[in-house]
Amino acid sequence: MTATVTTPRTRRVRVPGKRAVLPWLFLAPGLLLALVFKFVPMGKGVWLSFFEVRPFLGDQWVGLDNYTRVLTDHRFQDAVGHTLLLGIGQSLGAIVVGFVLALLLEGQARSLKVIRAAVFLPVVTATAVVGELWRLMYYPTSDGLVNSALGFLGLGPTPFLDNPDTALWATMVMGIWMVAPYNMVIILAGLAGVDRTLYEASAMDGVSLRQRLRYVTLPAIRPAIGIVLTLAAIRGLRVFTEVYVLTGGGPAGSTEVWMTRAYTLGFTRNDIGGASAASVVLLAVTLLLTVTVNYFRKRGDVR
Amino acid sequence: MGVRRRSRRLAAMITVAGLAFGAAACGSGSDSAESGDPNTLEVWTRSNPDPAATYERVFAAFTEKTGIKIDYQPVINFDQQLQSRASTKDLPDVMINDTALMGSYQSQGLLKPIDPDVIAGHDQITDKTWASTVGIDGEHYGIPYSRQAQTLMIRKDWLRKLGLQAPTTWQEMLSVAKAFADRDPDGDGKKNTYGMVVPGSAQNGYAAWWGSSFLWSGGAKIIEPDGKGYRPAMDSAAAVRTVTWMKNNLFCGDNGVIQPGAISAITGTATNFQDGNAGMYLTGPYNIATYDVTPGKDKFDVVPFPAGPAGSTVLADGENVYFGARTGKTEQEQALAAFLISPEGQRLAMTGKNQPVVRIPVNSTLDAAQVRDDPRWSVVQKAYEDASEQFPNAPDFAPVKQDTADALNAIFTYCGSDVRSSLKELNDTLAGDLKDQDLLK
Repeated sequence: MTATVTTPRTRRVRVPGKRAVLPWLFLAPGLLLALVFKFVPMGKGVWLSFFEVRPFLGDQWVGLDNYTRVLTDHRFQDAVGHTLLLGIGQSLGAIVVGFVLALLLEGQARSLKVIRAAVFLPVVTATAVVGELWRLMYYPTSDGLVNSALGFLGLGPTPFLDNPDTALWATMVMGIWMVAPYNMVIILAGLAGVDRTLYEASAMDGVSLRQRLRYVTLPAIRPAIGIVLTLAAIRGLRVFTEVYVLTGGGPAGSTEVWMTRAYTLGFTRNDIGGASAASVVLLAVTLLLTVTVNYFRKRGDVR
Repeated sequence: MGVRRRSRRLAAMITVAGLAFGAAACGSGSDSAESGDPNTLEVWTRSNPDPAATYERVFAAFTEKTGIKIDYQPVINFDQQLQSRASTKDLPDVMINDTALMGSYQSQGLLKPIDPDVIAGHDQITDKTWASTVGIDGEHYGIPYSRQAQTLMIRKDWLRKLGLQAPTTWQEMLSVAKAFADRDPDGDGKKNTYGMVVPGSAQNGYAAWWGSSFLWSGGAKIIEPDGKGYRPAMDSAAAVRTVTWMKNNLFCGDNGVIQPGAISAITGTATNFQDGNAGMYLTGPYNIATYDVTPGKDKFDVVPFPAGPAGSTVLADGENVYFGARTGKTEQEQALAAFLISPEGQRLAMTGKNQPVVRIPVNSTLDAAQVRDDPRWSVVQKAYEDASEQFPNAPDFAPVKQDTADALNAIFTYCGSDVRSSLKELNDTLAGDLKDQDLLK
């Protein structure tokens, strides 16, 4: 009697247990890869930020020294300004340009598909290649593409990357060119979901183009904009390759951003501890920014 | 029952596969399968594929002669890779890299001290050259392998066309540069030529690397020995005068004296001499082979750097052979070093169709111009022997060089800047760098 009762009970316990374990088993390879290639290095980076790193002689604990050194360094403080300007300008610019591109290129015609593919190319091109391309385009004499175009308008050649007042803006334009098509694709997906009858109804009400954008299109693609904003918050501040390839932080440090500074600290000056501390600070700020953006997005969704 | 077992087996397989994959990924980072074999040396050089081919020939000859095998790794981002190897506590046995890195490596404990007397053929290297591998504690930490000094590459066809002579002073160099920019030396009727190529970016310290020959020839030093330590010297009158001259005449002077975009150019992007639109380039002799192809051997000449107020003293650098610390293959390493500095080893590395990896031989029985049958190399050798100066090799020079480059780049960028106060500021920064290394006395 007792035996017949216990058997089903143990069975009942065991089955949900197995159900809970199995998904984790299937996830194991992916998790393991993430652990080895992402979380362990990340944890190591945080760990190293508390040390004077001497790979061969053994690291020395220095507590928060690296952090105070990085945060009080005036070069890093300059870099914060450049990073914010570049991150915000590039993100907003890319959203606006991406939105305009999406409006222009929405549709089913085959020609539009070809153009969309062409416009998307910068996203799939390696940043180093894009940087080299733009360096040639920005060439400071009338041989450069941009300057020869300016020449047609009667404007003299401008040394875009060699003038500390314009170098950061020139970098920003390249960044927008690179990221905007990605945003375009997300916004295009959003636009495809807009209810066509709303457009018809608003047309019958005789609204202007601006009103149609403001009261029909934008509210309808809010989720897409939310995603684009989240991505921008994640990507915006960790800008590195664009700057490194295009200007290397110069001239006179006018395009030095947080990550190029951390790179110089780590690899030119062999101060891995300081570079780790700088990277951890950036990680914390990025995390905070992402969470904030997400919070506002969710709150907006609920409303 | 059978179903359960099968699913368990599947789960186990997946887990094992995942673990194996992870373990394999871990292992590949520190792969040195042959490091256990006492008869194989792992050798690293910082080389592109072309010079790496030269090294391969040299090492093949060594293996044939001694039977010691070489596991050769040409590494381009040498220092990053070396740092990750250092963290595994398993260094390459032998490294060939820049002289200026010795202080940095030594301070990190990466190098084995070397007694010159145990290296066969050590007496064929001059005392002056050996002196350049003495570390901060008075011990040798490298074996000289190749040396070079900067010289001026100049378009002789342009000089001839304009009826000019190769410059011998800074002032003459400036007039030649202006003539190259203004008087259409390539004869295409367009104003599209420039006087001089300048890699003026602060990236990797290029501005300091290129500018140092100007500093030395202007009588300035970046840091100076001071008792047992060093002190910064960039606020001297000579430094102010030299940097002011460079700013006013090269960067903020007439258009075209230097190539456009010089302030953000690194050596990789400053290709104007090769492209045939700039007439002069103060650089190292490794470029001679490249320029023999374009613009062409008959088009350019190699001349000494024109003299500044304090004569013509140019930057010398080169490569040393370093032994990785705690590798336990000292005898084989010494055999390789002896071969590398022997007349045979040096000759092999100086010739062949690929880029030479020994520029000026450290072996004093050899003559660069004779080995190569090219009199232009005697100009380089003479510049090295008579009037050259290295970056100080004992301290970790990397931060000093980077800070100097940052300051020079900023001074040259802002034409309205006050050179004296900027250099004063640089001097304070350099004092901080030296203090970090306990070298400021």
